[in-house]
Amino acid sequence: MSEALAEFGADLTDPDERRGGTGTARFLLGKLGGAVGSLFFVVVLGFLLFRMIPGDPVATMTREKPFDPGQMAQLRERFGVDKPLFRQFLDYLGGIVRGDLGSSYAYNRPVADLIAERFWPTVFLVGTATVLAIVLGLWLGVRAAWRRDSAFDRMHTGISLTLWSVPQFWLGLLLLIATQGLFPSGGMRSPDTPPGFFPEVLDVAHHLVLPCVTLLAVLYAQYMLVMRSSLLGEMNAEYLTTARAKGLRDDLVRRRHAVPNALLPTVTLIFLQFGLVVSGTVTVEAVFSWPGLGYLTYQALRVPDLPLLQGVFVVLAGSVIVMNLIAEVLYRVLDPRVRAR
Amino acid sequence: MSLLELKDLGVTYRVGDEEVPAVRGVDLRLEPGETLGIAGESGSGKSTVAMSVLRLLPKSARVSGEILLDGEDVMTMRWGRLRAVRWAEASVVFQGAMHVLNPVHRIGAQIAEPIRLHAAEPPGETEVKARVTELLEQVDLPVSRAGAYPHELSGGQKQRVMIAMALACRPRLIIADEPTTALDVIVQAQVLDLMSRLVAERHLGLIMISHDLSVLAATCARIAVMYQGEVVERGPGGEIMGSPRHSHTRALAAAFPTVGDPASRFAPATSEPLPPEPERASGAEVLLAAEDLRVTFRDRKGVRIDAVAGVNLEVRRGEIVALVGQSGSGKTTLARTLLALQKPTSGSVRYAGAPVPTSGAGLTAYRRQVQLVLQDPASALNPRHTVYEAVAEGPRIHRLPGDEREIVKAALEAAELRPAERFLSRLPHELSGGQRQRVVIAGALALRPGVLVADEPVASLDASVRGEILGLLLRLRRELGLAGLVITHDLGLAWNIADRVAVMYRGRLVEVGTVEEVLLDPEHEYTKSLLAALPAGVGAK
Amino acid sequence: MTAGIVWQRRRAAAVGVWREFAAKKGGLAGLGVLAVIVVLALLAPLITDQAGLDVVHAPGKPLRPPSGEFPLGTDIDGRSVLLLTLWGARISLLVGFSATVLSVCIGTIAGIAAAHFGGWVSGVLLRFTDFFLVLPSLVLAIALSSVLPQGVATIILAIGVTSWPTTARLVRAQTLTIESCPYIERSKALGGGHLHIVGKHVLPGVLPLVLANTTLVVGNSIIAESTLSFLGLGDPAVVSWGSMLQRALTSGAVTGGAWWYLLPPGLAIVVVVLCFTLVGRALETVVNPRLKGERG
Repeated sequence: MSEALAEFGADLTDPDERRGGTGTARFLLGKLGGAVGSLFFVVVLGFLLFRMIPGDPVATMTREKPFDPGQMAQLRERFGVDKPLFRQFLDYLGGIVRGDLGSSYAYNRPVADLIAERFWPTVFLVGTATVLAIVLGLWLGVRAAWRRDSAFDRMHTGISLTLWSVPQFWLGLLLLIATQGLFPSGGMRSPDTPPGFFPEVLDVAHHLVLPCVTLLAVLYAQYMLVMRSSLLGEMNAEYLTTARAKGLRDDLVRRRHAVPNALLPTVTLIFLQFGLVVSGTVTVEAVFSWPGLGYLTYQALRVPDLPLLQGVFVVLAGSVIVMNLIAEVLYRVLDPRVRAR
Repeated sequence: MSLLELKDLGVTYRVGDEEVPAVRGVDLRLEPGETLGIAGESGSGKSTVAMSVLRLLPKSARVSGEILLDGEDVMTMRWGRLRAVRWAEASVVFQGAMHVLNPVHRIGAQIAEPIRLHAAEPPGETEVKARVTELLEQVDLPVSRAGAYPHELSGGQKQRVMIAMALACRPRLIIADEPTTALDVIVQAQVLDLMSRLVAERHLGLIMISHDLSVLAATCARIAVMYQGEVVERGPGGEIMGSPRHSHTRALAAAFPTVGDPASRFAPATSEPLPPEPERASGAEVLLAAEDLRVTFRDRKGVRIDAVAGVNLEVRRGEIVALVGQSGSGKTTLARTLLALQKPTSGSVRYAGAPVPTSGAGLTAYRRQVQLVLQDPASALNPRHTVYEAVAEGPRIHRLPGDEREIVKAALEAAELRPAERFLSRLPHELSGGQRQRVVIAGALALRPGVLVADEPVASLDASVRGEILGLLLRLRRELGLAGLVITHDLGLAWNIADRVAVMYRGRLVEVGTVEEVLLDPEHEYTKSLLAALPAGVGAK
Repeated sequence: MTAGIVWQRRRAAAVGVWREFAAKKGGLAGLGVLAVIVVLALLAPLITDQAGLDVVHAPGKPLRPPSGEFPLGTDIDGRSVLLLTLWGARISLLVGFSATVLSVCIGTIAGIAAAHFGGWVSGVLLRFTDFFLVLPSLVLAIALSSVLPQGVATIILAIGVTSWPTTARLVRAQTLTIESCPYIERSKALGGGHLHIVGKHVLPGVLPLVLANTTLVVGNSIIAESTLSFLGLGDPAVVSWGSMLQRALTSGAVTGGAWWYLLPPGLAIVVVVLCFTLVGRALETVVNPRLKGERG
C-alpha cells in the first residue's frame, strides 16, 4: 500500500502551489516595459492636453491680454503651433529625447533649465516631510491598532480623520497666521544670512519648518489610518494564534509576526500613492513661495505659461511613475507573498 | 497521574448581549501515550474543547470547570507559567495549514522559533539547525525545504511542517484539530500514517478532532462523539464505528459507508423511504456524451497543462455516473466543459446525439437541458436573492411558459422542501446547509432538465445531511428518470448512489465501468491506491 | 404577490442597513450636520439678500473684524464674510456633488467592464485605470482647467475625469469577488448572458459599496474644488469657499492677520469633508462585511 501511495501521492501538489520564486527577470521586464509605456503615455498626454484642447494654445495664453494679430502670429511661429499637428508632435518628441522641453513664455528661458533649478528644493521638502510622516504615521497606526478602541486609538483616529479633511493650503495659511513672524513667511533662504555653512543650514531649516509641518500633518494622518486598518486586518490572521500557542509573549507576537506582515503592504501603498504627495506639494509650495516645482506651477498658472506647465506636468507625472516602479520592485524583493502571485 | 483531565468543562461565548453555550459538562481523561478522537459536526463544540486546553479561546469565551494538564489546572496558571507550558508540554496541529503558517517567514525559522523560545539556556545556531533538520527528516520532508516559504509548499507538505513544528519542543501531548480536512484522500492517508507512527514511536498523547469518524477510527484507540456541546457517546474506535448506539453517532457512521457492504449499496442514510428501482430497458438512450474531449491551459510561465486529455464519457437517461478523482485530476474542468462553461481545445460534447453549439440561442437552449449543482450551497446562492428569486432565475432567463409561481412551487416540492410556501420569501442565510442545497437543486429542476451535473454535492455538508441529499438525487433518478453526473473524491458516495464509475487521473479516464466492477475489482493501479487510501475499516473487504 | 415578496425584502434590508448605520454615532452625527448645511445652502436665496454679494455696492468697510453688524467681519471689498460663506456653500457643494456623480459613473462602468469582460478589453482598461491611478490627479486637473475655458463646468469636468480611478479599482475588485462566487457559475449554467449576470448579480452587489465610496469621493471633490479655486483656476465671478481663500491670500489678508476672513471658509470645508468622511466610513462598515469589526 505505501508504495502505491508514494507513487500517486507525489504529484498531488496543486499546480497553483508549485510555482516557485522564479520568473523575477520576467517580472522586472514586465514592470519596466509597463513603466516605459506609462512614461510615453504621459508625454503624449502632455502634448495633447496643451495643444488640442480647445484649439489654439496661443489664444489661451493671451486671453484677457491685449495682443494684436501680428504679435499673435509671431508667438505662433515661436511656439511652432503654425505647423501641422503631427509635425509638432515629432518636434516635441525629439525635443524631449534631447532634454529640451521648449521655451518658457513668461521667463524667456528654456523650460528644462527652470525645472532643473526648481527640482531639488521640491525633493528636499517632499523627502523630509515624507520620511517624518511615514515614521510618525506608522508608529501611531501600530499603537492605535494594537490597542483598538482605547482612548489613544480614539483620539488619534479622530485627529487623523480631521487632518485628512483639511485642505493643505488652508492649514498652511493658518500656520502662517498663528505663528505670525516666528518663522519666515516664504522662500527658502533669506538674503541677509551671513555666509558660512552653519548659518546657511540654519536659515534653510528655519524656512523649512512651516511648509514641512503643513505637508507632514496631512500625510501622516493618511499613513496612520492606512497602517491602522492594515494591522487590524492582519490581527485576525490565524498564524497569530499559532504564534500565541507556541508560547510567545504578546509583544513578541506583535513585533515579530503581526507588524512586519502589515507593514510591507502599507509602505508599498504609501509609495504607490506618491501622486498624492506631489499634488500636496503644489499648494503648499504656492502658499510658502518655496522655490520648487509646485511654486513654479503656481507662477506658470498666473500667466498662463503653457510650455512651462506642460514641462512641469511631464516631469511631475514622470517622477511619480518612476517612484511607482521602484516601489513595486522593492515590494517584490521584500515580500515573499507577492512572488507567489 | 493523567496527562490531561477535563472535569465538567463548560464554555460559553458572548455574542452581543447573549451568552451562547458552546460546550457543556464535558469530562474527558487521557493517560500518557493514549490516543483519543473527538468526533462531531460543525458547531458541536469539538474545536472549542481542543482550544481550551491551551487557553487559546477568543476573549469572548467564558470557561468553567477544570482543565488539568499533568495535574496542574490550566485555568489558574499565571501568564508566565502558561506561556512556558504552551508548546513545551502540549502543542497543536491546526486545521488548514494554509493560513496558520506565517506567510512571510521561512518554514525553517518558524519551526526553530519555539525551540529557541523554550530552551532553558539560549541554544547555539548549529544546535537549532541540527534540531530543525532532524524534525524535517522525521516528517519525511527534504531538509532543503527549510528555506522555503509556506506558499511554495503543497497542502500536504504544509501539514507536515505543522507536525514538525508541533514536535519541536518534545511535548507529551499533541492536539490535532482536523489535521487532514483539506487534503486529498491519498495525502490524507500519508499524513495519518505519519502521525500514527510518530505518536507510537514517541509514546505521545494525542487528541485528534475530526468530523470524519473513519479518520478517527484509523488513528485513535478511543473515540468520543460530541453533539450540541455535549459528549453523547464514547468508547473504543471499532465499537463506535461498528455498532453505534446514539442516533447521532449512527448518522456520522453512515456518512462513511463501507465500500463493498451490500447493506449500503443504493441505500444512502436517508429518513424517507426510497422508491423501488423502475423497470428500465437496457441500453437506454445516451443523453450527454464527451468525444475525445481535450482542454489545454497555459500557466503563467507558458507551460502547457492538459487538464482534460482525451476523454470519452457517456451519460445515459436514468443513470447516475460518478466521476472520481483527486483535486487537480481535471474532473471539475471536464464538468465545466460538458456544461459549455469552458471551451474545449478539441473534441466535442454531444447532447442527445447532436453536437452542442458554442454560442447563441442554441447554447441557451442546451443549458435548459443540462443543469449544475455546486459543492458549496452557501456560495452557490446569491445572498441577496430570496429562495423564490433563486429558483425563478432559470425560468425567467428561458421565458418558460406557464405561471412562474406554480413552476417555482413545483420545483421546491420536487426538491422536498415542503410546504413550498414557507420557503419562498426566505434568504439563503436563514436556511440550513441541507436546505440550501435543496434550493440549488430546485433551481435546476425548475427547468425540467435531462441531466444534472453535481460537483461534490455533499462535500461541504454535515454528515447527517449528506445521506438526505444523496437520497434525493437517487429518488429524482428513479421517479423522474433524471440522469446524473456526480463529481466526487468520495468512493463511499459512488457506492451509495451511482450506477457506473469513471476514475479520472491526470486528465484521463483510467477506468470506467459499473460500480461493482470498478470498486470491488479494480484494474488500474491508481484505482487500487485510491481504495487502499480509505481509512481502515472502510476499505474494500 | 411576487413583486410583494421582493419589495418586502428590500424594505427590510433597507431598514436593517439604516439600523446598523444609526448605531454608529460618528456617521449619524455627520449625516445630521450635513443635512443642516445642505438645507442652509438651498435656502440661502430665501433667507439672505443676494445684493450683499455685489462688490461695487458692498455694505461695509473692507477687512473689518467681527462686529454686531457683520458677525464674521468683512472681506477685502467690505462684504459680509458670513454671507459669502453661506453662498459659497452652494458652489462648493454643487461642484462636489456633480464632480462625484461624473467620477463615480465613469469609475463604476470602467471597473465593472474591466472585471467582467476578460481578455484584452479588461487588460487595456486595467492598464488605463492603473495609469490614471498613479498620475497625480491634482496636477492633471490643474493642466485640464488651465487649458479649458474658466468656469464651474470646467472645474467639475477637471475633478470628475481625474478622480475616477479609485472608484474603478474598488468596483473592479468587488466585481471580481462577486464573479468568483459560485452563484455566478450557477447563473451562467442556467443560461444567463452578460446582461443578466451584470444586471441581476454584479450591479446590485457592487452598488452598496459604490454608495459608501461616493460619500468619500464627495469630500475629496470639495477639497479639490477649493484647491483649484485657490490656485486661481475657478470662475472669478462666483463665490466658493476656495475662491474666498484665494482672495484672502492675494489681498494680503493673511499677512495682515485677518483671521476672520480665513477661518470661516476653511472651517466650513473641514466640517463638510469630515462629515462626508464619517458617513462614508460608517456606511462602508455596514455594507462591506469584510470591514465589519475592523473599524471603530
